[in-house]
Amino acid sequence: MSTLFLLPIIASVFTLLLPFERVHYFISASVLVILSVSAFLLYSSPEIVTFQLSHSMNLLVVIADIILLLYFLYQGIKFKSANVIFLSAVQLLLYGYVESIAPIAGSAEIVVDNLSKFMFLIINGVGGIIVLYSVRYMHDEAVSATKKSLFIAGLLLFISIMNLIVCANSILLFFLLFEMTTLASYLLISFRNDPLSRANGLKALWMNQIGGVIILLGALVAIEGFGTVMFDTLLKSSGGMVLFAVALLSLSALVKGAALPFEGWLLGAMVAPTPVSAMLHSATMVKIAPYLILKLAPVLGSTLLGNFFSVTGALVFVAASYLALSRFVFKEILGYSTVALLGLMMALAAIGTKESMTLAMVLMVFHALSKALLFLSAGVLEKQYHVKSIEEMKGLVHRAPKTVGFILFGFVSLTLPPFGLFMGKLLAITSISSLLRERPLLLIVVLSLVIGSALLVLLYFKVASAILSSPCDIHPSEKEYLPYGFSIPLWLLTLYSIAVSLGFIVLQKNLFIAWLALPLLVVILLPSMVKRMEQYDRIQPYHCGEKELFDAALVYYEPSIRVRQMIYWSFGMLFVAVAFIGVLS
Amino acid sequence: MTWIWILLAPLLGGLIYGGERVLRARMQRRQGPPLLQPFYDMFKLLDKRTLIIHAPHALLAVAHFLVLWFTVAAIFLGWNLLYIIFLHLFAQILLILAGYSVRSVYSHLGANRELLMVVAYEPILIVVAVGFYLISGSFEISTILQGGGYWHQLPLLFVALLIIVPIKVKKSPFDVGEAHQEIVGGIEIEYSGVFYEFLYMSRFLEYIFIYSFVFLFGGESYWLGAVLVAGTFLVVNLVDNATARVHTADMLKIVYGVAMSLAIINILGVLL
Repeated sequence: MSTLFLLPIIASVFTLLLPFERVHYFISASVLVILSVSAFLLYSSPEIVTFQLSHSMNLLVVIADIILLLYFLYQGIKFKSANVIFLSAVQLLLYGYVESIAPIAGSAEIVVDNLSKFMFLIINGVGGIIVLYSVRYMHDEAVSATKKSLFIAGLLLFISIMNLIVCANSILLFFLLFEMTTLASYLLISFRNDPLSRANGLKALWMNQIGGVIILLGALVAIEGFGTVMFDTLLKSSGGMVLFAVALLSLSALVKGAALPFEGWLLGAMVAPTPVSAMLHSATMVKIAPYLILKLAPVLGSTLLGNFFSVTGALVFVAASYLALSRFVFKEILGYSTVALLGLMMALAAIGTKESMTLAMVLMVFHALSKALLFLSAGVLEKQYHVKSIEEMKGLVHRAPKTVGFILFGFVSLTLPPFGLFMGKLLAITSISSLLRERPLLLIVVLSLVIGSALLVLLYFKVASAILSSPCDIHPSEKEYLPYGFSIPLWLLTLYSIAVSLGFIVLQKNLFIAWLALPLLVVILLPSMVKRMEQYDRIQPYHCGEKELFDAALVYYEPSIRVRQMIYWSFGMLFVAVAFIGVLS
Repeated sequence: MTWIWILLAPLLGGLIYGGERVLRARMQRRQGPPLLQPFYDMFKLLDKRTLIIHAPHALLAVAHFLVLWFTVAAIFLGWNLLYIIFLHLFAQILLILAGYSVRSVYSHLGANRELLMVVAYEPILIVVAVGFYLISGSFEISTILQGGGYWHQLPLLFVALLIIVPIKVKKSPFDVGEAHQEIVGGIEIEYSGVFYEFLYMSRFLEYIFIYSFVFLFGGESYWLGAVLVAGTFLVVNLVDNATARVHTADMLKIVYGVAMSLAIINILGVLL
């Protein structure tokens, strides 16, 4: 248990003390192995661990919180950001008030239940791989050796924070850790320290602080109404304002999950070094959003609030997939599709049946694996080939066949059978359809799921169109040099997602689902026929007599500014409506 | 017995295709090709010298055909409708990847359009499946075929399906995928000889795929199903002869605006 919190901290200290690349490789690889193994062992043991913080530790939490908020205030003043100053001040006042009326005794502050153990698997498995990758990534970054070590140490520390946040039972402890992830976002986004990174970092800071304010309000309602700051006591109570408290907490999930209209901070985060995007903004940190909803689901589910929240998430799924179609920077496309899928996960979690909650968890695992793979591949392209936009990627398959292979696998694993994400969507349609008669509002969720998935197919394979076009194979494609520091993490993620998908299929105990994997076999067997294709003659593609080669353009859909504003306004109103429904019910 | 049907599926599809060409010719008061013309074409294609651009491109066409055949087999075996729709998506994606894998403008153009077509019809197909589920309580085709009453309870959903049938069989007003050779065949352009043959046959399988959705509306009464299929067949060809091709973007607007609304209204009617 304590390995998960302490080991990353110890490792990060060593990373700082020994700023040598070989040592970093060694540290990150061993951290990866130890953390994944202990997370797995913990997952397979059934016991639920609780831990009560001592008085002095609680005091430490309060002090840390105040220092953190003061630091935010200082950053706000230093960079003259009115939003940051205002929100930090509000949080300081609120926090002081909440802390002064908070009950001293309660149930344990730290509870490791099954949901936390499940989150450990994602955080440590995927997070560890990303740390390993970042060692090689930092190798080419034009910064000093100390800063490189700081970067890796920061990522390691972040794993530790994440491991703690998913077992926080006290809302105030959760608030502290939530703010610490915000801090991590802020520092890592502005890592490159140019004006754009700085501006985007501040944006991430103030947007996430809105989430902090909302959590504090939720804590306030919980204390006023039920005299508790513990999640488990709050979720067991009924009547009164319980739904309002839950509504507020779930709204903070919308902020952390970068649901519209807050998606700006996540897209801005794409200026950060790629391991940051992979770690914070797709694989682990933003997963706090669906995690929180899963935690609140026992109360949310089957209420009007839960249904409405679910609809909101589903609409985010469609809208974000649609908005992604206008983007051409590869990482932004991935960012938007992360926003979309987080919306879907929250929608499924908020439905609150056992089945839909499991499916939300399934989506979380597979999304973490696939998105990490895609982001890391994007990082390889950035470092080795200096391409960021999909327009520059034309014909990349010829220059970088291996990386393109990984990217294609990522797309396929996000959309097609028999991979987990696809299975999750398929089972979700079945599961929600069975609820439709009792809860007709969920029809919107089904429709959004269906339409959004189609839009995501369009999005991913549009990108594929850019990277794939390759000339006649009389010229063999170039050998791609992919250093081990890059290829090993990529392979690990690929193998993980294949293995977990297979495991998931076996767990379904449904023979038909196994059949779905058969077409993939056809595709895998085909390359063995390539040799026999030599008997056919080659020709050049038809160009209608043009002498100059030209390429087909990519498809973009750009909503007009009015439509875009309408989308933002309506999502803003949905956001407020969730709180409103919470008050009414 | 089912297995024989599955094995013969491409031939069956070929007959439908041949029949369609005869029907269209008659509508235009032409003599038209004989019923077996698709098969004559097949033999002719086998005779041709095969030229390919690169191996993966050619092989993806084969994979497309095989997966599509598998999909049709799943229909005959009475599997889950959702699996079938997604298997079909898989087949379609293979074809689209094939189109993108060569550096040819027309092939890319065709693949872009093919992708947009997927985006247009895929949601409707799934909503139709959900409609069947609401009435029969199952996504399994075998169970759906034991129930009845789809025809009166899901009339608007049937119309929605009718709107997307032309997309799948590449008929006006939605024949954007090949656009009557205006984009020189789109995805098909870079194929020749035996590999074109595979694409040609997958078109037959597409007919079976989409018309079996129409057939399902008959439920337990196979006669009703057959009548619906024949009626749809006739209407689609009539419309094909009577309309001009719409712009790709308009196709999406029509499908999402009209077909989707009809489907939603119908399902809401069932639910409330």
